[in-house]
Amino acid sequence: MKHALNLAAALAAGLMPIAAGAQSMSPMRGEVNSFTDAFAVRVFPANPYDRKIKVEIHVYDQDFQPVDAKISPSVFQLGSQASRPVLVVVPFGGAAERKVRICTESIPFPNQQTQIRAQICGKFFGHRKS
Amino acid sequence: MTLFRTTVGAALLFACLDHAAMATTQNVIFNGTVTATCTLVVGSNGTMTVSPDLQSLSSHNSGGSAGTVTLTTTGGVSLSVDPVTLTTVPAADSTATTWTPTYLSSGAHTIAETGSSTALTAPGADLVSVHLAGTKGGSNRFANGNYQATVTLRCE
Repeated sequence: MKHALNLAAALAAGLMPIAAGAQSMSPMRGEVNSFTDAFAVRVFPANPYDRKIKVEIHVYDQDFQPVDAKISPSVFQLGSQASRPVLVVVPFGGAAERKVRICTESIPFPNQQTQIRAQICGKFFGHRKS
Repeated sequence: MTLFRTTVGAALLFACLDHAAMATTQNVIFNGTVTATCTLVVGSNGTMTVSPDLQSLSSHNSGGSAGTVTLTTTGGVSLSVDPVTLTTVPAADSTATTWTPTYLSSGAHTIAETGSSTALTAPGADLVSVHLAGTKGGSNRFANGNYQATVTLRCE
């Protein structure tokens, strides 16, 4: 499994964009070929606010049901205008291909009557090669 | 003889000048790719007020206000709101409430108020207003106390 994760991480490097400020998440689209039982995607959530925010990363399937993926890290603080890489490893679960949404969610400001949770989701398609 | 020397000299000078100009010409190619991106910045959260008949708690009611979000995109994405699942109601409220989140947009994309998903094909920036309305039917009424609900605005 360790080798699988290493290979998946190496494959994720192919999706690495140039991280830039004032983007909520990059990339928002991706297609990954994997020779293991999982595929990996590296995304870059960014904080466009002028203050530190708390960010959560979630992985959903096409019906917005949670996917048991490894997210490193899944919850973190992000400084103003900052961006950081997050590695997401998604198991195929026996399937030959899998479509998932990787979503960056900001935590709403507290103590307001109607809170708005901003969610940026990228769509990623993993193909298992034999 | 003088004419011959002048002609040969002029020809040599021209050849040198022409050769030098050709040697300095070169093209530099620049490539760039812009992938689909979307940024949401919450400007303000919303406020709901209750209607005179106490059956509507909404940001549309008098004194209420929509939440505002600034959206910036390259295009090729879609905007939507999720059904409301996170709510806090006072203990005195034991009856069902139907929550309806909606949004509208002005700017690069003009979107009339809707609760459905909207494709944003063009690039640009928008001011998105997010509304929330809670309604009660029959003889049910909103109760005294604090209400809170979370609306998820998604760009994907």
